[in-house]
Amino acid sequence: MSVEQAAGHAAGAKGSVMSHLLEEFSLSNEHAYEFFGIPLPHGPGMHFFGIDFSINKAVVVVWIATVLAFALIYYTGRGEGLVPRGRLRNTIEAMVQFVKQDIVDPNIGHDGKKWLPFVAGIFFFVLLNNLLGLIPGSNSPTGNLNLTATLAAIVLVAFVGVGIKKQGVIGYFVNLAPRGLPKWLYVILYPIEFVSLLAKPLSLALRLFANLLAGHIVIGALLGLIVLFGSWIIAPFPFAFAIIMYAFEIFVAFIQAYIFAILTALYVGSAIHPDH
Amino acid sequence: MEIGSLAHLGSGLAIGLGAIGPGVGVGILAGKALEGMARQPESTGTLRTTMFIGIAFAEAIALYSFVISILLFSK
Repeated sequence: MSVEQAAGHAAGAKGSVMSHLLEEFSLSNEHAYEFFGIPLPHGPGMHFFGIDFSINKAVVVVWIATVLAFALIYYTGRGEGLVPRGRLRNTIEAMVQFVKQDIVDPNIGHDGKKWLPFVAGIFFFVLLNNLLGLIPGSNSPTGNLNLTATLAAIVLVAFVGVGIKKQGVIGYFVNLAPRGLPKWLYVILYPIEFVSLLAKPLSLALRLFANLLAGHIVIGALLGLIVLFGSWIIAPFPFAFAIIMYAFEIFVAFIQAYIFAILTALYVGSAIHPDH
Repeated sequence: MEIGSLAHLGSGLAIGLGAIGPGVGVGILAGKALEGMARQPESTGTLRTTMFIGIAFAEAIALYSFVISILLFSK
């Protein structure tokens, strides 16, 4: 297909560049069920118990990220001696130490050591998913609401669970609002606090999802400009800008993993220590 | 005007108007954090951490409108 034909196709009535991008990101086109040319099992044959278990691109990336996160930490932890040797081991050790010193310890406090595996697991899982999604031809699983909502649900269960364990069922929900206020105020305050409790995982899920999706759409839209204009003279400028945005997306991948982990630690910490 | 084009118009307005407030907010946040860092360089670490958490909360509001905009666009 020549550039002009592609441009005409892309600028056509139904198939605008943006619609193509959204179809690609939301895994609703024919490319969703192949991973770098390898066809993946999907369709009615993959329906078990009335649920669609079709394997798409994002699922494969999640598997790779899970195995990679486990392998990296296992490789670092099972090294010879107490001091890690080698570049990879030192990098991973520095990151785990960062999670411990900058995320877990200031927010959870003296129970921090128990929660380090959970928070570090979330950090590495989200980070690897973000980074693997940036490989051209792959798909970002964290740019999909299904994965981020699942992660946020796990965090919700974790911090409500530990809060109930520490303070009891009644104590936890009583402690949602501060004490010592006029009685009539609690009628308004409790519903608000309950909604804000549910808004925590919602914002956690939406933040990660929308950040990743927005980043991919920006890169995709810039590259789509090349197709839209269909001219060799204009092509380098969107391409150069797309590369800058790509570098920014690598930064965002780290920042979002950090934000997700630190908010998890913050919520867990405030459930463990309700007094401050 | 048909509904589809109105939805597209609304999609653009949603993200455009929704990004104003968080944009101002993130600007104030980073500026104040920078002021604090300049005044007390030894508290840079704590300030940066708190700043990122604040930015994450401010940014989330813009991202809600982004999600609404995407929902409107795919209508």
